[in-house]
Amino acid sequence: MKKSKVKVRICLGTACFVQGGADLLLYNDFVDPAILAECEIEGCSCLDECKVGNGSAPYVSINDKVYSGVNQDMFCKLLAEAVKNA
Amino acid sequence: MLELNNQYTLMKRKIDTEVLKCFFDDTLVEQADRLPFEIIPKTRTPFRCCIYKERAMVRYRIMALAGINIERDDDEEKPLSEYISEVMEEDKPPLPLLTTIITGCSGCPKSQYRISDGCRGCFARPCMSNCPKDAIVFINGQAHIQEDRCIRCGKCMEVCPFHAVVHIPVPCEEACPVDAVTKNEQGFVEIEHDKCIGCGKCVRSCPFGAIVERSGLFPVLKMLKRGEKVVAMIAPAIEGQFPGTLEQLKAAIIKAGFQDVVEVAEGAETTAINEANELYKKISENEGFMTTSCCPSYMELVDIHIPYLKTRRSDALSPMGYTAKLVREKYPDCRSVFIGPCLAKKVEAAKRYRNDIDGVITFAELASIFVAKGIDVREMEAASLGDTSSFGDCREFAVSSGVAACVMRRFKEEGKSPRIMPINGLDKKTVRLMKTWEKRAPEADLVEVMACEGGCIAGPGTIVKPALALKLRNAAKTARPAAK
Repeated sequence: MKKSKVKVRICLGTACFVQGGADLLLYNDFVDPAILAECEIEGCSCLDECKVGNGSAPYVSINDKVYSGVNQDMFCKLLAEAVKNA
Repeated sequence: MLELNNQYTLMKRKIDTEVLKCFFDDTLVEQADRLPFEIIPKTRTPFRCCIYKERAMVRYRIMALAGINIERDDDEEKPLSEYISEVMEEDKPPLPLLTTIITGCSGCPKSQYRISDGCRGCFARPCMSNCPKDAIVFINGQAHIQEDRCIRCGKCMEVCPFHAVVHIPVPCEEACPVDAVTKNEQGFVEIEHDKCIGCGKCVRSCPFGAIVERSGLFPVLKMLKRGEKVVAMIAPAIEGQFPGTLEQLKAAIIKAGFQDVVEVAEGAETTAINEANELYKKISENEGFMTTSCCPSYMELVDIHIPYLKTRRSDALSPMGYTAKLVREKYPDCRSVFIGPCLAKKVEAAKRYRNDIDGVITFAELASIFVAKGIDVREMEAASLGDTSSFGDCREFAVSSGVAACVMRRFKEEGKSPRIMPINGLDKKTVRLMKTWEKRAPEADLVEVMACEGGCIAGPGTIVKPALALKLRNAAKTARPAAK
């Protein structure tokens, strides 16, 4: 059975973008290529999480679960975990 | 220099956004004294010694954002709200550009080289053999540096196979290309403003945030609030700094309250044409090399430190200068504000274009306006940029070697092929090199000088890392239909 890829969406709302979200777009430079191969990463419009008020930018959604305050290091760990559990 | 992605930048963005939110709600004067407490709550685990010092630093950061000369006007007893009301009444003069926050300065010890425990006391001892001052001795099988002999050349560090030699610099002093940052008698940071070229490298290198720029944001915000017509001149480096397209960005800037948006690339075209003509003349008449004139930090460097180059730099105005003139003609009843990645542009505007340019802000400051107003660039309806076919390529002014490329595209060939030399980033070494040109001319006809390594896209007022900015810019370039 073919495993489905992990769906990753990086919030590209202006608030997320300027508060560190942009750095995540360089994922080719800092995520393990073996993990990247199992993921489908795209930028997306504002996830509207910032308007709810909990957590902090930048937000990332992985298989429709939203994470807040994601930095590069956390991004790697989240992806690795998601790939393992897929 | 510090990597752009760090806690201090994130904190700065947060403070700026919170201040602007209050500004747009008309509550800044009342809220000002509360802001440090809201930004640094009791529950925070501090990165500095305690939350009280962090709050004090937030207070200073807000003062710098309001344009206050902290060095001169700091009064610890005076509430922040009083400072803010003053700024609301009257704009502060734009110069000097930088100011220091002594409270934040860690008073770093003198720059030094040290040998760590990683030293294995090897047989080859390259550190000892390569030290020009015989400063290395071996005690108990490990190398030691004799401080009184060491001249801090760093040779031992280069040659140690175990990377056992560490260099502990004073980041601000190390970063300053012209030695304008020094220590006072108490060992705290001091800027010699008459030597400063405004490159902003010290601001970016201090991991304690003890050197800040006095922002020019408030005068601009006040213009917008009074409902004045303000035209935004956006520097070529803006592409790649925000999500979405340039067209959407234009729409977002207009939504933020600006009357219209003009690309500085339009003025850059005139700069490129004039520099191409001048270069042609210089080569035909065998007058020797010419340098570009668009980098304001380089202009200051020449004016203050290398007067010989005054005759060498091009007479063309900077792209900002020509664009300001365009705006004056097209919108005679409007004010103009330059939005760029650069701190030295504030110096240039204040010294050369006092009557033509009414304000200078950075991309990062524009971003906080967007965030405070809840404007999402990527969701905006695209606004037309008009016909950009003649100057579209001049957006490359923002990247190292880009200016020279634009000049060359406008150069009348006729069998001449000028030699080009880019100075990609000013530091102590390149400044030393440029000083030697008086005696020994560089092997080039056109020298392109950019103070920031990588070009304006790596400037101190940028938002994203240069690598990403390049990636986004290239993607935008391919997406743009039929651009030259």
